[in-house]
Amino acid sequence: MSDIDVLWGDVLKIFPVLGGLNTVPAEEVDEKVYENVRRHLSILGSVETFAAVVDLEIQSVIRNVLVPKFWKHFQPGVVASEQSASSGINDQALSIEALPDKNRLFTQFIDAINELYEGFQSLAHTKPRLVQLLGSEDKVPRSVKMLQVDGIKTCLRDSLLAQLPPTFSVVVGAFYWVHFKLFTKSSHLALATVDSDVFDELLCIGCNFDVELCCCQKLTEMVNQTNMKLFEMNLIDRLTGSALTALIKLKIKEHINDTCMGIFDRSHLKQLETWLSDVIMSWLTNIFTEWKSKDSIHDEEVPASVQSFKVKLTYFMYETFAQSVISQFFSIIIDYPDSIPAIDDLKICMEKIDMRVYLTESLRSSLEARILHPGVNTMDILTGYVAAIKAIRHLDNTGVILEMVTAPIKDYLRKRNDTVRRVVTGLTEEGPTDLSEELAKGETVKDGKESGLDEFSNWENWEPDPFGIDANVMQYNSSRVMRSADIISMVVDIYGSKELFMTEYRNLMADRLLAQLDFNSEKEIRNLELLKIRFGESLLHSCEVMLKDVTDSKRINAHIHGDSNRTENQLFDISSLIVSAQFWPSFNKESLQLPEELENEFKKYTKAYEAYKGNRTLNWRTVTGRVNISIEIGDRTLDMVVSPTLAVIIYHFQNKTEWSIEDLSTITKVPASALRRRLSFWQNHGLITESTPGIFTLLEKESEKSQFEEMSLTEADEEDLESAMASASDQREEELQVFWSYIVGMLTNLDSMPIDRIHQMLKLFASHSGGVEFTQDELKHFLQRKVREHKLIFSGGVYQLAK
Amino acid sequence: MAQNISPEQSGAGGGGSKHSDDSLPVKDNHAVSKRLHKELMNLMMANEKGISAFPDGENIFKWVGTIAGPRNTVYAGQTYRLSLDFPNSYPYAAPVVKFLTSCFHPNVDLQGAICLDILKDKWSALYDVRTILLSIQSLLGEPNNESPLNAQAAMMWNDQKEYKKYLDAFYEKHKDT
Repeated sequence: MSDIDVLWGDVLKIFPVLGGLNTVPAEEVDEKVYENVRRHLSILGSVETFAAVVDLEIQSVIRNVLVPKFWKHFQPGVVASEQSASSGINDQALSIEALPDKNRLFTQFIDAINELYEGFQSLAHTKPRLVQLLGSEDKVPRSVKMLQVDGIKTCLRDSLLAQLPPTFSVVVGAFYWVHFKLFTKSSHLALATVDSDVFDELLCIGCNFDVELCCCQKLTEMVNQTNMKLFEMNLIDRLTGSALTALIKLKIKEHINDTCMGIFDRSHLKQLETWLSDVIMSWLTNIFTEWKSKDSIHDEEVPASVQSFKVKLTYFMYETFAQSVISQFFSIIIDYPDSIPAIDDLKICMEKIDMRVYLTESLRSSLEARILHPGVNTMDILTGYVAAIKAIRHLDNTGVILEMVTAPIKDYLRKRNDTVRRVVTGLTEEGPTDLSEELAKGETVKDGKESGLDEFSNWENWEPDPFGIDANVMQYNSSRVMRSADIISMVVDIYGSKELFMTEYRNLMADRLLAQLDFNSEKEIRNLELLKIRFGESLLHSCEVMLKDVTDSKRINAHIHGDSNRTENQLFDISSLIVSAQFWPSFNKESLQLPEELENEFKKYTKAYEAYKGNRTLNWRTVTGRVNISIEIGDRTLDMVVSPTLAVIIYHFQNKTEWSIEDLSTITKVPASALRRRLSFWQNHGLITESTPGIFTLLEKESEKSQFEEMSLTEADEEDLESAMASASDQREEELQVFWSYIVGMLTNLDSMPIDRIHQMLKLFASHSGGVEFTQDELKHFLQRKVREHKLIFSGGVYQLAK
Repeated sequence: MAQNISPEQSGAGGGGSKHSDDSLPVKDNHAVSKRLHKELMNLMMANEKGISAFPDGENIFKWVGTIAGPRNTVYAGQTYRLSLDFPNSYPYAAPVVKFLTSCFHPNVDLQGAICLDILKDKWSALYDVRTILLSIQSLLGEPNNESPLNAQAAMMWNDQKEYKKYLDAFYEKHKDT
């Protein structure tokens, strides 16, 4: 019996594991003891059994003692409070930042690793002893796992991961967070010295202790030690990998936010890449290899895992950076062209990562939030639109993204009624604006035919449409013509037709021409030439005629003024602007009856014109124009330039100092309401007063002169603003009236019809007369208006005439 | 009826000859539809009271017309629908005009066919939709009792009071057809 006890004692000496875990390194054991045990075992014939027992015992120690002990360090309560909610890696990474007690977790982690390592060490001793006992490795039975290469390590890793608590990565995160801080200390210090305030606090950036007590060196050593131990146990990848990744991602995000936010005028990608390889990658290499450096490791031997990590992280960095750029893309658009470097960066990112959908969505929503609401001037929206076109075109040449992003802007602009006017003003305004610059570039708009040819002749330069875009959208946007169009046509395209745009241009030009009769047409001609290059001659023909009218009128005026017969005993000078009614936009329908004496003068002029031109005569448009008048009243003399209506009004007061508004309205044929508005001009000048309601009297004496001095300017301005032209909407109204006759016609004969039938009929039968397109939406509005006016009845989806 | 050339000719063709109108100085369809478009526009713009017409569907060769009964006649206050079918040879051949609303009238039969000289032998290319409608409108008040299609109406015509009574009842009964 004693033999067995002695034998067991010897066995225990060799394999302390069999008596339970003992972290104290086993004492040296004599060869004699080995001899003894070996002898007995071979007698018993149970060498294999014994090896298997040792194997099982080691496994169970790892599973039941070592691992639980290790995890006990991170039991709930230590970190659980912070961890209750988060599950994803990124969340965990974020919560690292929030942890109050990183240093505690840091030391805790180191302690735990140390302990684990010691246990591991003592178990690792077992292998050589078993080999020694059995004589040689060859004799070890295959079934003994522990003696296979890395057997213990694999077992340890497996059982560790099997029992991995969810909170662990936070601890690892905290550990590496501290490590990273230590590692980047030098660069931080460099920054901190610039900012002396921070330096005054005398805290070491690395370890958060007072500078005098800085223990960075010590901490770094501890970390390196721990890393080494982890590596030796083959645990570094599996146990810390995910936490490490999360931490690095967080650091990348922080870095991008710190360095790139709001700076668009230089490229960041290079700098970011340098940062990634200089800081992050060298840190990672440090984790994996630093502790070995004394063992003369070569740079090329950087573990493959670090290499693959780098690829992953680079992509992550691109993605994060692209997201950051995209989220600021609106500012980039506004800053264009200063922001070109940022756009170039994004372009590079987008080649590597598919961000298109994200880009379009984010940009659309930010555009909607920033400019597409009633608080923004139409001009500003247009400026934004132009900038967006430029910026996005720089980003994506094919124009697909542009189409998608700008569609809401176009829709919105279409709803604003002053858009066309603004565009035209922008095009022709004095001083450089985006639009007039674009116009001056003088590119021609390619019409469909030409670009169709282009597509075939230019096939070598064909580029596929960008990927990642909805196929439906692609189809919808299939017209390449539009996509490659330039900015002017993009802007004009808001309304979908050049014709409408040109009509508005004509109206504005007519206004300008009429407003300044001594007009210098050079600039207009230049603009017109530029527009002609762009939109073709035919559309602008009438504008050309208008300009010609102006110059012709000057010549005719000069001729008639030179006619001595006429200049005798004339009351005043007349200069006419003779317009060709066919080419000018229709005038508004205001009327004005001139006093007889004045009219006679005009008749004389007409006669002179008839004599000069033969076969032609003049129709005077008395409302439009300018009159130089000189008013002498009391001791005052006023010289001013006013509109004809104002002049006629004050002229009537010359002979009769008191007028009722009705009488005045009859004699001038100006409606009373309009007349009252005009009269207020003279009231403001202190010449007329409304003595009793409806009766206006001339004021002989000067009163409150100061007041009128101020008023005159604003009033005169207001007068100028009135357009002599029938607005585009008035003209449209006339067209609608034509359609209305047809609608009445068809409803009289065909009783009741649904809207699409009406629309179809109009298209078939009425488009000959109007020559204007008429969308179903427009028709709907129109019909609804007629319903409101009780001219139509709408019921059961069909319209019919009201009885 | 015999003067109504186009249908007669096509009937005589029998074999379904498509060139039934060749015997007349036919213009191509385009010219005819152009003329009809123009007539439609004139009609719409003139906006004459009491008469109206409009193509019935996509085919500009088939119109529906509406006439109001002339004032100071027994037909006052009533409205009648007519159909106008234009032949390809229009305006060299008269359109076929029929009442869609049943009309009790000496010169209109119960199928709606109208006996009116300008739609038959007196047709001229100078007439147009407007003149046709105006003629039919005046025919209502001034029937030609010499050649009645509706003998009963022709007989009753002399007693306007009785006629009116019968007409009103007839109209009420048939106006929705």
